[in-house]
Amino acid sequence: MAPPQQKIWARAGLMAFAVLCGGWLLQLDYRQKISTNVLDLIPPSEQSPEINLVRGFADDVQSRVMLFALRDPQNPALAKEVAARFAAKLLSSPGFAEAVVIGDSAAQDKLGRTVFERRFELLLPGWLAAKHREFKATGGSDDRFSAWLAEKAAADLESFLAEPEAAAMQEIVLADPLLLVPRLASQAQLFSPQGADAAGYGLVWARIKASPLAEEGQQPVFAAVEAALAEVVLSHPGVELRWSGINRFAAASRARIEAEMRLLNFFSIAAVLAVSAIFVRQIYKIIHLLPVILLSIAGAWTVSTLIFDRLHILVFVIGSLLSGVAIDYGVYIYMQPALRPDEPYAEKLRRLIKPLLASCLTTVIGFSLLLFSDLPLIRQIGLFVGAGLLCALGAAMLYFAQLERPFLEGRQFGGLGSGHQRRAFRLIPRLLLVVAVGIAVLGPFRLRWRDDVRQLDIPAPALNANETELRSLFGESENRSLYLSYGKTAAEAREQLEAFRAGWTKVAPQVATSSLGMLLPLENDWREQTGRIALLGKFPDEFRAALERHGFSSASFAGFFEAWDRLPAASAVRDYAELARSVSAMLTGPLSMLSSTRDPFWFLTVVENPGTPAPVESQTVNVSQLQSLNDLFTRYRWSALRLSLIGLGLVIASVFAIYPFRRAVRIALIPAGSCFFVFGTFGLLGHTLNLFHLLGAFLGVCLSHNYAIFSSENAGAGGAPPVSIRLSALSTATSFGVLAFSQIPVIHALGLTVALIVITTLMTVELEPLARRSA
Amino acid sequence: MRSLSVFLLLVSCLVLPAFSAAPAEVPPANLIADPVNDPGWKELFARLAPQQARRSQFEERRIFPFRTTPIVLTGEIRISPDRGLSLNYLGAKPQIVIIDQKGVLMRDERGQQRTAPADPRADAATSALFHILRFDLPALAKTFILHGRRDGEAWTLGFEPRDATLSGLIGSVIVQGEGGRVDRINMVKSEKQRIDILISDTKETASFDEEELKRFFR
Repeated sequence: MAPPQQKIWARAGLMAFAVLCGGWLLQLDYRQKISTNVLDLIPPSEQSPEINLVRGFADDVQSRVMLFALRDPQNPALAKEVAARFAAKLLSSPGFAEAVVIGDSAAQDKLGRTVFERRFELLLPGWLAAKHREFKATGGSDDRFSAWLAEKAAADLESFLAEPEAAAMQEIVLADPLLLVPRLASQAQLFSPQGADAAGYGLVWARIKASPLAEEGQQPVFAAVEAALAEVVLSHPGVELRWSGINRFAAASRARIEAEMRLLNFFSIAAVLAVSAIFVRQIYKIIHLLPVILLSIAGAWTVSTLIFDRLHILVFVIGSLLSGVAIDYGVYIYMQPALRPDEPYAEKLRRLIKPLLASCLTTVIGFSLLLFSDLPLIRQIGLFVGAGLLCALGAAMLYFAQLERPFLEGRQFGGLGSGHQRRAFRLIPRLLLVVAVGIAVLGPFRLRWRDDVRQLDIPAPALNANETELRSLFGESENRSLYLSYGKTAAEAREQLEAFRAGWTKVAPQVATSSLGMLLPLENDWREQTGRIALLGKFPDEFRAALERHGFSSASFAGFFEAWDRLPAASAVRDYAELARSVSAMLTGPLSMLSSTRDPFWFLTVVENPGTPAPVESQTVNVSQLQSLNDLFTRYRWSALRLSLIGLGLVIASVFAIYPFRRAVRIALIPAGSCFFVFGTFGLLGHTLNLFHLLGAFLGVCLSHNYAIFSSENAGAGGAPPVSIRLSALSTATSFGVLAFSQIPVIHALGLTVALIVITTLMTVELEPLARRSA
Repeated sequence: MRSLSVFLLLVSCLVLPAFSAAPAEVPPANLIADPVNDPGWKELFARLAPQQARRSQFEERRIFPFRTTPIVLTGEIRISPDRGLSLNYLGAKPQIVIIDQKGVLMRDERGQQRTAPADPRADAATSALFHILRFDLPALAKTFILHGRRDGEAWTLGFEPRDATLSGLIGSVIVQGEGGRVDRINMVKSEKQRIDILISDTKETASFDEEELKRFFR
């Protein structure tokens, strides 16, 4: 094929590729395609019902809550009034589903009244079942149950009057001598807002309609908050507002990432330009590298989004580093001079194709192995980088066919110590290499690893402190643990809750637990209530007598006895699921988030100061899955390590298949040695590593592999590495080095590891000819 | 009917004072319009405000309208100028009730704790009783109308809530004593609905030791 034809075909190929990628990427719904949820990093096989439940709870329930605290320093007594005005204004905004003033006695009264009115329907079944079991344990026959129960209830009531609550509950006790409501109040007490600690603040709990991670859950909501505050300020000019919500964290994270990426990219580009200015004579010509990088990244995005239904944002953050690798092929082709002035591009390419293919394909093989990882993130990174590298090589080969003279002239500074024959210039590099080998061999034994899923978050210390203080004002404590008891139905979930509470009573009776699930009777207790009531035909008379025996005036309890007579009609509900839903409907505001009586079915339990491990119940899970996720990440680190080592093995095997033995040994040793040296240095310095250092190391090794291959011709001749290697390695090292200054732990880990490995490789490549020089 | 939360708040109010074994006193008739500066009472109030830790025994009689006999409880009261008030109920079901700036905390013999929930009425009642037991006069004057009567060293103080809601919750509070000692506290909603507490064996000490503070206070 004649050169002009080749040029046309190459251009057509590039254009078609760009159009295909652009067309695909432009029509994507990125909100659906890209996830920012940490739990999306967990593979489906690990997404047990527990994880899914916790995830649903976190996504759909907890994350939409916003907390507000308002105070008017000039009129502290008006805090509640200020809070009420603020809440009313929030509620008028379309972004808010609920806004409740904490400590609002009207709402509390309403709930208390409803619970009281439904006490026989909701609370009596459980009480009666428990007493019946207690009675049966005495060996009595059912015809004696009524008399036993009357005596027992009167004795319990007398005992209750000695408890602190009794004096406050005497009005209730008159209508509820069985103590159904007081016992529930005790079982649910951890859910009570702790208003006395609010330090002069009026507290507002609110729930937004949209996801806090979506745009509509952020700026419109923030605008509504500002509008509500402005309204309150009209009447209370000095009012102070403190507030928190997941949307604030999400918005801050995004702003932080955007700001940091802008800054890092700026310094990264500046560093690359500075390095280029040193090594390239006509710096403007490096603009020709840009299309190669853009097409490589576009290809990586296209292939990844085609293959995976959903990708985590970290893939793109980490994947943006692909440019550091993708640029190598372009630099190598572009900076190789023609053998003669009329050498056609195709001939030059044929000459370079072996190192190019060796470099690219071995790296792609290495990253392809990551496709076998259990961790979706690692699989996605493997595909993204692998596809990106192939696209980079293809784009570089086709793009430079467009140029009349595809050559970027560099400054060749010669090798280190060249021209000096003194012994020291031979010994110092050798000594340095011996020290490096020592560090590479011994240092890794001192490595410490720590996998913490929180490293995936963007640090926001000020927002975290604000959140902690607000939660403290709302009475939440870090000493509390939250558990979800779940089931396929409301009845099963309620059974699991009962088992979990019974487990606590067994292992640590001193631990306070609270659950509003106790408002709902167990299904069996509820169904058997009619039969048990049938045993209590004489109960009213027997209870009156028992009350008198225990020092009570039975006439005072007339209200109770009248209600008891109407008992058979107490519940109109005939279906347990409907009963469960009717209980949920009673709960509003924060209390509405403590149970779910629609699929998925669960009840929340708060445990205060557990101090001991929770009882193991098969269908109850701790809401805080942090440790589980950390353990999972540790497993994936080992998985990534195993795959990386296999990948490295394959890369090395490929090198030995392509190159003569001695050259292959050199090409294999330089990247591996650099990696071990860097890890050895980390070990000796006590630097704690995580999964992302490992991924960075893999990337670094692949980059180093390129340099080892590209420099092998010169090294064989005892000369300095070609300028393309120096330019490429230094550009990569500086751009990744800039990333090491990132405040985002993942970016920092990757940037630091890659930069150090690349620098080590470059130093090795530079020092190697010196060390090998004979006297 | 009271709401769930109101239960516990009321608890706070009525529970703390648990004081007086004698029948309720008739509230004294002499108005103390300016308790902070009244020359007849200023010196006594200064003596009553706890400067040191106090430890006393108490007997509490809870009189309910629906019972023919009172419920009688005994225990120890501890007052710390810094940490608030602690009632240690002895008997079959030991219980500690702590009232301090943060509200009311109940602690049972297993160490299980529970707090009174937030409610403006409960907060007002808790706060009022906290101030009464500390004889914090500036704070008391805002919430109560004070009456007093003296007979030599013996004295009687009556606290009538200014707010009707608070009055409905705690009734009137009558405190009796002699010299710098508090002997009785009566919380009276009606003749058949009240709590009487008799305080005895009061001892003052510089402070409670660490273990005592940890066990009996928040």
